[in-house]
Parts: sequence; C-alpha cells; structure tokens
Amino acid sequence: METKINSGCETCEHFNKDGLKKLGVRTDNFDFVVALAGNPNTGKSTVFNALTGLRQHTGNWPGKTVTRAEGGFEYNTKKYKLVDLPGTYSLMSTSEDEQAARDFILFGKPDVTVIVVDANRLERNLNLVLQILEITDKAVLCLNLMDEAERNAIEIDVRTLSRDLGIPVVPASARFNRGIPELIQTISEIASGKIICKPHRIKSVPENIEKAVKTLTVEIEKEFPNISNSRWIAFRLLEGDKQIIEALKTGEFV
Amino acid sequence: MYTYNPISALLVFFVAGGLLYFLFRPAKGWYWVLKNQFISNEKTIIEDVLKQLYHFENSNNKVDMKTLVHMLSFSNKRIVDAINKMTVNDLIYFESDILKLTEKGREYALRIVRVHRLWERYLADKTGFHKIEWHDRAESMEHRLNHDEVEELSMHLGHPKFDPHGDPIPTKTGKMAQVKGVELPLLQVGAVGRITHIEDEPEVIYKQILAENIHMGSLIKVVENNSTRIVFLSEGEEFKLAPIVAANLTVAPLEKEVAVEDNVARLSSLNEHETAKIIGISRESRGESRRRLLDLGFVKGANVSIDLVNPLGEPNAYLIKGTSIALRNDQAAKILIKKD
Amino acid sequence: MKQNNIDNIIELSNELRWQIGDEFHDNLTESIYADAADIVKDSVRSNDSKRRFRLDAKIDKIVTSKRFGFPIMFLILGTVLWLTIQGANYPSSLLANLLLDTIHPALKSGAASLGMPWWLDGFLIDGVYLAVAWVIAVMLPPMAIFFPMFTLLEDFGYLPRVAFNLDALFNKSGAHGKQALTMSMGFGCNAAGVVAARIIDSPRERLIAILTNNFSLCNGRWPTQILIATIFIGAVVPKSSSSLVSLLAVIGVAVLGMAFMFGVSWGLSKTVLKGEVSTFNLELPPYRPPRFWKTIYTSLIDRTLIVLWRAIVFAAPAGAVIWLISNIHIGNESIAAWAINGMDGFGFLLGLNGVILLAYIVAIPANEIVIPTILMLTVLVTGVGVGEGAGVMFELDSINATADVLKAGGWTLLTAINLMLFSLLHNPCSTTIYTIYKETNSVKWTVVASVMPVILGFIVTFLVAQLWRLIF
Repeated sequence: METKINSGCETCEHFNKDGLKKLGVRTDNFDFVVALAGNPNTGKSTVFNALTGLRQHTGNWPGKTVTRAEGGFEYNTKKYKLVDLPGTYSLMSTSEDEQAARDFILFGKPDVTVIVVDANRLERNLNLVLQILEITDKAVLCLNLMDEAERNAIEIDVRTLSRDLGIPVVPASARFNRGIPELIQTISEIASGKIICKPHRIKSVPENIEKAVKTLTVEIEKEFPNISNSRWIAFRLLEGDKQIIEALKTGEFV
Repeated sequence: MYTYNPISALLVFFVAGGLLYFLFRPAKGWYWVLKNQFISNEKTIIEDVLKQLYHFENSNNKVDMKTLVHMLSFSNKRIVDAINKMTVNDLIYFESDILKLTEKGREYALRIVRVHRLWERYLADKTGFHKIEWHDRAESMEHRLNHDEVEELSMHLGHPKFDPHGDPIPTKTGKMAQVKGVELPLLQVGAVGRITHIEDEPEVIYKQILAENIHMGSLIKVVENNSTRIVFLSEGEEFKLAPIVAANLTVAPLEKEVAVEDNVARLSSLNEHETAKIIGISRESRGESRRRLLDLGFVKGANVSIDLVNPLGEPNAYLIKGTSIALRNDQAAKILIKKD
Repeated sequence: MKQNNIDNIIELSNELRWQIGDEFHDNLTESIYADAADIVKDSVRSNDSKRRFRLDAKIDKIVTSKRFGFPIMFLILGTVLWLTIQGANYPSSLLANLLLDTIHPALKSGAASLGMPWWLDGFLIDGVYLAVAWVIAVMLPPMAIFFPMFTLLEDFGYLPRVAFNLDALFNKSGAHGKQALTMSMGFGCNAAGVVAARIIDSPRERLIAILTNNFSLCNGRWPTQILIATIFIGAVVPKSSSSLVSLLAVIGVAVLGMAFMFGVSWGLSKTVLKGEVSTFNLELPPYRPPRFWKTIYTSLIDRTLIVLWRAIVFAAPAGAVIWLISNIHIGNESIAAWAINGMDGFGFLLGLNGVILLAYIVAIPANEIVIPTILMLTVLVTGVGVGEGAGVMFELDSINATADVLKAGGWTLLTAINLMLFSLLHNPCSTTIYTIYKETNSVKWTVVASVMPVILGFIVTFLVAQLWRLIF
C-alpha cells in the first residue's frame, strides 16, 4: 500500500513533517483558502478532519454535511483556511447545497480546490470533477478510499489519470491518514504556484452546442479578458442561470 | 358549566367543524367560490371569449353567440355585455351570426395562450403539482400575469418552445413552432410514430390517458386499428384505447427505416439478473427530477442492472456506474432501456 | 457602454438557447459522462470477479429480503430503543441524586448561610437551577445512550437500507423513505430528528419530515407516559398483568403517534405542500465498519451536547417563570392559581384540568419538567402536605405517593388517558421549535409545526373526553 502512494506531481520534495500544524477551527489571518469539494459519501469530511485535526461527524450517508464547515492548518509557515463544501453530485442544479458549493468555487475564488473522489466509483465521480475543472484551474484530485479500492481489486494508473485530467492526483485513505501528507504538500505547491495545472475541458459536446458555446465564449472574453472560466459561464448562460446573469451584470467575475 | 353535557359539546364541535369544512374545503369551499366570483371580472370573461374563438378558428370551426354562451360558465348577461364591449374595442366582429377575431383580437388571444402554456410549463418543470392540476391552475393564472411578469417567466424557463402537453408556446412576437403529426386513429396498422401532443381537454379523457401511463415523446407502433379500439405498442408495453380517447393523442409518423429498435423497454420492466443499456430519459421526467437522474448517471449508454429487489415492491435498487441507487417505479418507468 | 455589451451577451445567449432547444442540459451531462468514461478507460483496471462488493451484496440480500428484512429492522431499532429507556434509568437516578438531592439542598443551605433574601434564593436556586438540573438528569443519559448507538448504525451504512425497505409505506403518504430515520431519531429527540431531515434532499418531503417529527414520542416524554400508565392504567387490571398492560398502553401511544405521522404527512402532501418540488433518490452506500470510539466521541460532541446545551438554555428561564408564577400573588392568589382556575373549564372540556394545561404552557422548554411541574402545581392548589413549597418542582420516590398527590388533584382514568394523548399531541418543545426555525428558515412553517399538533391534541382529547362521559 505505502509504496503505491506516489503523488501525481513530479516535483514533490520530501514532505516537511515539522512544518505542519493542525489549527482546528482557528482560521484567522490565513494566507490561502482551500475549498474541499466532492460527491456525497466519498469520505470528504474524513479528509477534512485529517487535514485540520477537527472531528466533524462523518456519517455513512449521502448528504451529511449540509452546512459549510471551516477549519485550518499551517504548513511551512503558511496558514491555510479549509472550507468543507456540501457534498453534491453536480454543480448544475438549483438545489441549495449545489448552489452553495458552486458559489464558493466560483465567487469565493479559493486558491486551491481539493476534489475528493471515491476511487471505487471514479467514473461517476468524474461528473463533478469535470464540472469543477471548467470553473477553476487550481485543483488537486484526492483519490480517497484507496484501501477499499484495493480490496475490490481496482487498480488506478495515477499518472495517466493525472495527465488526462491535467491536475495532480493524490491517492489516499483518509481514515488511516494515508496520503494526507502528500496532499498537504501538493496543496501548498499549487497555492504557491509551483505546480501549474492545465485542466481537462469537456470535449464530447455535440456540434450545435459547441458552436453556440464558442460564439458566447468569444463575446464574454471580449468583455472580460481576464477570466479563465468563460466557457463555464457560457454553459450557464445557455441554461439560463439567473444567478450567473446577475453576476455578469454586477461584474462579480472580475 | 351549568349547561354542559357531552352531547351538546359534541354537537357544537361537529357543527363548527362542518361549517369550517364547507367554507374552506379545496376548490368547492364557499370561501373560494366567493373569492373566484369576485376575481372573475370583465377582463376574465373577455380573455376567455378570445381564447375560445382562437381555438375554434384554429380548428376551422365557426362559433355563434349560442355556442359561446354554452361554452363559458358565466351568466348570459355578463357574456353579452363583454361581447358588446369587445366589438366596440375592435377585438371581434360579426359575420352574420358568426363571431370572428380581428387582427388585434388575435394578437390578444395569442398572448393569453402564451401565458397559459408558459404557466403549464412552469408548473411541470418547477413545482410538484400533479399533471391533472396544471390546466386549471393555468386557466386562472393566465388572467393574472402582466406583460413583464410573463417575460420574466419565459426567461426563467429558458424560452421553451413547447408546453408539457406538446402544444407550441407562441413567442413574444407571436411566432410558433409547428406541431407535427396527426391524430392517432388516422394511422394505419403497422405505422410507426412519435407522440408529439397529448390533449388535456376534456378532463375525463385526459384522466384516462394519464391512467394508461402514456408518455409524451414515446415511439409507438400501431398493431390494431378499428372502430372499437386502437392497440399500439410503446416502450415494451401494449396499450389499448377507445378511438375517442386515442383521438386526443397526436402522433408524428416516422419513416419505416428510422423506425425503432423493437426491444426498447422501460427500466421498470427490467427483471433481476437481466442487464440493459440506457437509451435515454423520457420527456415525461422533467425539471429537478430529470436533472437528478442525469446527475446520478442515468445517461445514454450507461449499463444498468437490478441490484436489490424491494420487499414491498418498490423502490428497487439499480446498479449504475458502480453505485446502487434506489428508484421508485414511476421514475424507473421514465427511463428507457434496451435489454442486452 | 459596458452594461450595453453585457445585455447584448445575455440577449445573444437567449437567442442561442431557443435555437438549441430543450435538450441542452441532457446533452451537456451526456458529454461529461462520455468524457468520464474515456478517462476511466485509460486509467482504471478492475477485476470484476474479485470484487468485495460481493460481501456487501450478501448482507444486502438478507437485510432487504422479504422474510428477514422487517424482523431484523424491528429487532435492531427495538433494541436501541429498549436499551435507551432501560439503560437510562440507572444513570438518571444517579444524576438526580447528585443534582437534585445533594447539590440542591447544599446550595439552599449555602444561600441561607450567606443571608440571601428568600426571593433571590428561590428565584435562582428553586427556579433556574432546579429546572436546569432536572433537564440534565432526565435528558442526558438517554441521549448519551441513544445517539451513539444510532450513529454506529448510521456509520455502518444500515440506515439507508431501512429507508429502502420502508419507502413504499412512506410513499403512500407522500413522504420519503428516509423519513423512517428522522422519525426514529425523533424517538431520541425531536430536535435531532428535525436536524436529521437534512438527509432528505427533496424539498417537499424534507418539510413533511420536519413538520411531523413531533409525532415521534421523544425521550423527554417516555418517562411521563410510563409513569402515568403505571399509576392509572396498570391499576385497572389485575396486579399480575398490570406491568404488561401499562407497557402496552405506552407502546400504543407511540404507535398512535406513528399513525398520526403518516396521516398528517399525507394531509400535508395533498394540501399545503402540494406544489413543492418533489424528487426521489436514495443511494445505498457500501457498508463500512464504523470506527467505534471515534463515532462515540463525535456523536456525543455533535449531537448529545449540542441538544443538551440548547435545552439548558431554554430550561433556565422556564424554571424562573415556574417559580415566579407560584410566588407572585395578585390579590390573595398566586398567578399560577389564577391561571389554573381560569383554564379549568377548558381543561375539563378536554378531559384534563387547569394544572395540566398550565404545566404544558410553562414547560414548553422541555417535556422533562412537565411531571415535576404538575406535581408542584397540584400541591399548590390542593394543599396536600408533600412537596418542597411554592414554585419548587419535585418528584416523589414512590409511585404510590405520586398517585396519591394526583388523585388528590382530582385525577381519574380519563385524565390519565388524555394526559398521555396530550403528551403525544402537543406543541414541540422550544428547542425543537427553534431548530425547526433554523432548519426551514421560515416563520410560517415554524408556526404550522408548533400549532398543528396542539390543535390535533385538543380535538383528540376533546372527542375522547366526550365519548368517555357518554359511555361511562
């Protein structure tokens, strides 16, 4: 098990154990904001607890964390505020929890987004991952529940996955604290700009939609040259997302 | 306490309870009836007249005063008053006995139709009201929304082209998509087509269609057509309808070659130990529930099988993309599969 | 200028949207899943034959089977409930000993030696302290037993299977299978049950679960039911069967509560909640061995202590009010006595009495203090020679002594039955009301949830009382 866990990033230095301090709920004066997103029932809260040293209850129930939980840790003298978003299957519906999660990633502009997925059910989890990668390009995939995956005889080629997704991938079993140091290391490297991600963008879009999206994207970029997620905004506009329309009008994106 | 005895106490209680019931029972309560009387003012009558005329003209039928009074549930005098006013305002005119819409009247009527259909679409996509209620709710709402509210609503819904029954929604400028197809009884045995419209009036017939679980957008194949009944296959089930009921379904015939994989079925018909591929989600599944199903992985091409059979019959758990997800039978009936 | 461009963009998007048609969302989701399938094909290899899911499947086959599914479920939930009620007795009496019989007198004598005026000492120690102590003694032990056990079941993954098994029943009344769990949670504490309704992600069904949670007889009400059933209902049958009959009576009330839950759920879904969006989905997660100690710890911290804290916050002022109304006099009667006299007539109509109604009004914060308050008020108006004085809640060690006090207060079998019914059907405690407000964020639903059960309670007790008087 141990030997298999290798971080997705090539440039990893050794993890600096002494530089880590779990801060629990003390999140004042932070340097970076880290968002924690993922499907329900992927052990997201366990990852949150492992990172912050908190002990939030984590039920074996889809949809446990509905309110937003916050915590923090300090690594190599930098302080990170961690925000545990509600577990969702998607970011495109109008339900309260999905809106909360989406708003935070979109408007809260976290320095790093950690996407926790269940290694046993990677395909279904990728639905959310690919949506998040349309919104932000500073993300890391935490491949959680590796212990279960191993027992289920599921092998994941972490390097290929990382290349396909264009972001670092860290295998972990948060319940046993495995992979957490690597995750912290990766978070710090993305936050400091040492790792630059080139996230996957949704490809298999039907032609007529792709054309409409392109037209819109061009227009949006003309107006807001600096945003990186114009394509996501185009998607949302085509769905008639009221909130996004409002945000465009008030210029919240810039 | 001097006059107390249990019987009188019970009497008072039941009289009071009965009174409350008759006042406020849904739809027929006296309070609601009075309230409706109050709301259904001249505007309502005018708009209802316009709408009726519009529908009649569209189906090339002629209306005289008598039929109209018969159609509407207002007092004769109020209708006559309204018609006089409409003639003065150049909304309608008489051709001998026959009532006709002017250009202006037609525009007005289209606006009402637009609101009605948009509202039905809203009820279908964004609320939990049952289908059977959509029509009546839209009937009263169509008189209440003003121009800006309608535009707002239309935008909120994504400027839809069709209402949930398959009727086209006129755009702001009066443009309308075309409903393709013919009434079901006109199809020959062996013909294949797609249901493009389900008429929701009269309610008696609509209820029968609903009870049969016939879905908008389903592919059908006619296997029997005579004066007593029409039998067709759709999504692995067989449906038998009386011609008068079948006439309320509009079906767009398809070329034979495009026609259908025969073994399309509903997920609800999947048995234990069978596997299948998902073909799509029926248009009957709308709004939030449809999105949920998609998010959960019930998308075209996904493999599905039964994971657990429920001891009470439903919901059954389906294995989809590595996870066990329970769906109720009415949801599963709206997911189309092809058994392996 | 800029605003203009943005409006153009939005206008353009609307135009494009009309062209693409209604299928956009479907298409987009399908493309995302298509990409996902591609990626997974590249990087994941799984050997289907070796999957551990097989073990899960075996457990699932048993716990959802026609033959064993329901017996296993009743056995597990019954055991949890039984352990809670039985297991709480001992620590409860220990706590009561400590807080009520040891610390309370000590505080009193301490106050006396400090020369504290009687009203301050009464207000603080007999009022505020006693109410808080009572709530802790009665509430803490059952919750500290119930929540960890429930949480263990939850962490293991069994609870979603219960929802799965029972959904068809709940579906008939317009509710969600997961309501089986919020309901079970309500047997521990309604406030916790209301919070648990978060697991239901369909708005209509979630509201139904919140509004009907109060029909689950909570920990605070079990002792009342058991006490009254033992005194009055156990007494009308031969000694040998009295404990069985009173137990059956309590279970009967709990089952009646469930019947009300189903009935009211049905009513709500057909009337006021008809238009709320309703979706259903239930994921059955894999089983995971719970981490025992961690679960115990987190459930204590997250559930038990939070609920207890809220209860204390609300109980303290209630204690003060109870003391004040018994000790402030208007004319030659205390406020309590005035109120009791005023409500006696209405109480009689319901087969109850003024004391019970007043007790339920002042004891809104916690059902736990209803019985002590009733005893104190009964002594206050009848002048029976037990108790600790005006405004001091008490309980009697022997059931017989309690029975004597209540009978002196004019209680009959009808009073007892209707008290049991009213204890089931009355407004939720203030902790629950507050929690409902926090969860729904709506004054309207909070009011509905609070008022509806009282009205039901009035109607039911009224009918029972009239019929009773007609027959007997």
